[in-house]
Amino acid sequence: MSEMDRRKFMGSAAGAVAGALLVAGCKERAKVAVPAGGAVRLAVIGPGSRGQELMRTFLRVPGVRFTGLCDVYEPRFAEARDITRENTPIFHDYRELLAAKDVDAVVVATPLSFHAEHVVAALESGRHVYGEKSMAMTVDGCDQIVEAVKRTGKNYQVGVQYHYATWYQDTLRRIREGRIGKITHVYAEWHRNHNWRRPVPDPNDQKLERLINWRMYKEYSLGLMAELGSHHISFANEIFGGMPESVVGSGGVDYWKDGRETYDNVQVVYRYPAGETLFFSAITSNAHEGAQIRVYGTEGTAVLTEGDAVLFSEAKRLKASPVTKVLIDHGIMTGASYLAEMPYRGKGESIPVPDDVEGNANYLACESFIRSIVNHQKPEADEREGWAEAVAVILGNQAIEEGKRLYFRDYIRKPVGAHSDSL
Amino acid sequence: MLGCFSVVAVWAQGPRTERAGPHTTNQAKLYEQSRPAMGTEFKIYLYAEQDEQAEAWFGAAFAEIERLDETLSNYKPESELSRINRLAGHQMVTTDPEMYALLQTCIEYSRRSGGTFDITVGPLMRAWGFFRGQGKYPAPWQLDKAREKVGWQKVQLDPAGRTVHFAVDGMELDLGGIGKGYAVDRVIRQLRMAGVKAAMVDAGSSTLYAIGAPPGKKGWLVGVPKPGDRSQTISTVLLKDESLSTSGSYEKFFQLNGRTYCHIMDPRTGAPVEGMLQATVIGVDGMTTEALSKPMFVMGTEQGAKYLGNFPGVSGLWVAGAIDKQQEVEWNWPGCAGECGETLEGSRERKLRTQ
Repeated sequence: MSEMDRRKFMGSAAGAVAGALLVAGCKERAKVAVPAGGAVRLAVIGPGSRGQELMRTFLRVPGVRFTGLCDVYEPRFAEARDITRENTPIFHDYRELLAAKDVDAVVVATPLSFHAEHVVAALESGRHVYGEKSMAMTVDGCDQIVEAVKRTGKNYQVGVQYHYATWYQDTLRRIREGRIGKITHVYAEWHRNHNWRRPVPDPNDQKLERLINWRMYKEYSLGLMAELGSHHISFANEIFGGMPESVVGSGGVDYWKDGRETYDNVQVVYRYPAGETLFFSAITSNAHEGAQIRVYGTEGTAVLTEGDAVLFSEAKRLKASPVTKVLIDHGIMTGASYLAEMPYRGKGESIPVPDDVEGNANYLACESFIRSIVNHQKPEADEREGWAEAVAVILGNQAIEEGKRLYFRDYIRKPVGAHSDSL
Repeated sequence: MLGCFSVVAVWAQGPRTERAGPHTTNQAKLYEQSRPAMGTEFKIYLYAEQDEQAEAWFGAAFAEIERLDETLSNYKPESELSRINRLAGHQMVTTDPEMYALLQTCIEYSRRSGGTFDITVGPLMRAWGFFRGQGKYPAPWQLDKAREKVGWQKVQLDPAGRTVHFAVDGMELDLGGIGKGYAVDRVIRQLRMAGVKAAMVDAGSSTLYAIGAPPGKKGWLVGVPKPGDRSQTISTVLLKDESLSTSGSYEKFFQLNGRTYCHIMDPRTGAPVEGMLQATVIGVDGMTTEALSKPMFVMGTEQGAKYLGNFPGVSGLWVAGAIDKQQEVEWNWPGCAGECGETLEGSRERKLRTQ
């Protein structure tokens, strides 16, 4: 793929093009309507690894059909058509795809650095957008998406699928009911023992390497913070009811010294306005902890994984009680102390996953997006949630880069939605 | 899950190693990688010219295997198959084109095999105690209850909406009798497209597929073990651009009143198959051979041979009888007939009845 081709697809969407799209988008919007019967025609920009997974999942939702595929890497078309099992129209330029008539909504699963451009263009063309997380690579890009949603009135759902997991929502409800007391800390990990690379057909082709392993290069990616941290940050924002006010971080390319630029391990500590803390860690050299979130409250702990959640209670704090005179008369017996340092946690209380729930978090997120279109509702994980998650990712990564505490107020021009209160 | 038994797979020379194997040509070296998936271990052997190239091919292949494991597993609650199993008893469930096509294929194999291949046998396996145990004789009411929930005809597929529906609530699908073969085929296709010229994909040794042949060889040597004694090989074949699957009954069984009950069910009777120890089939692809090996086992030698005759390019080898009194029967079976050049240790002359 030549650099020219790349520009054509990923390109910088220079003013003239953006303007043309704006005009075209306004005309197009009136024609684009969700067909009767709930059928929704989707197109995908970037049917790579994650894009293909989303395609499979969307196709499990009744009435969904893919009517457009856009990529700059030719093999993706055959792979994506293998998923649709039909000759789905292909486009090498996203602007051509957005000019097509038979598209109701667009799935954007391109590298992070192109999210803002592709999402804004799709919204401006009158389409609803399911945008892969993280929302955008810069605060400015996030602001652009929020503005475009406001301007077009179209739906934007950010791909933080765990928001839709029943055990996440159930845990959140119990937390809000005070089940584990006041939440003071969230400790979250996403630990893997893997180089995090995707296979490249020709390992000697550096252009192909950057195209396929874009997560490794700072030009396109914020690395582990964006690709993994965004899920946990999004959940912590929900728990704390807002976004962080500051962040410090550490990280580096310390184990997989294979030419990558984005960090192979990150640790960040976010402070929220009411004094709560989120600690997030992602490493690629040990998978013992896996992906989990521990929510610490004064009366208990919630442990969430990719497939379940368990609540544990803290030991009861006993109130002072009057002592009988017997103690004074008979004294206190001395002896060795055997109090275990590690508290007994018990088996905990599993959050049940109902039998009749449709599938995993990915399915629930995709199904919810389709439902929001058909029912003309706003998505749950909308642009406000995406904005808060992405801004925290961006500043977390920047804090690692700069090696100092960053205050969110210094980088945000216009807080979005509910998050304006937390700054 | 239907029973599958090991086939001894080897390549032409030398012991296995994790990375570069000892078998090299001027350019290509033999590599091996294995990972757990689908309740067993998948191994891939392939020839590549560079370590990086081998890593890339392995990476893509195992990513596909992992994806299919996440989709087809009936143990993982988040899999697509589990979603269908949870819901299809009380609603129409839309699924993706790949899963729908796979289920269509399964139903077609059930139809063609007269119900001896059946992805709905799960409740029977539970009733007979084979789901996670060594087996037990079920009470008649348990069997009746299980039979109500078994039967491929009760799986209703509608291509218009790509929907799956169970006529009886409580039914469940288990793709253990075809999923590994499907995964092997997907990986083979991927490796071929990537330019791999010689490889062997081994799904828990019960389904194997060979791409091409090791340099300078006519094919990949595969040994079929004697039931109950893996140190002995009853047949050695050369596999090249074809698949081989084996089903066996002698690892999970129980005995009662002088009868042996194995974990492979005859879905037509609701009882374990008796008098059969092992069935091995060679064919054009992994899905075909895996889906044929169970009916072969269930039908027995005569009916089974007739059934195999419906599929071009297949051959079969049965071991019937009891562990201490084995009878080998073949149909179109190639064997090596001296062409292998080398035979596996323990290999012996067979006395076979050929149709």
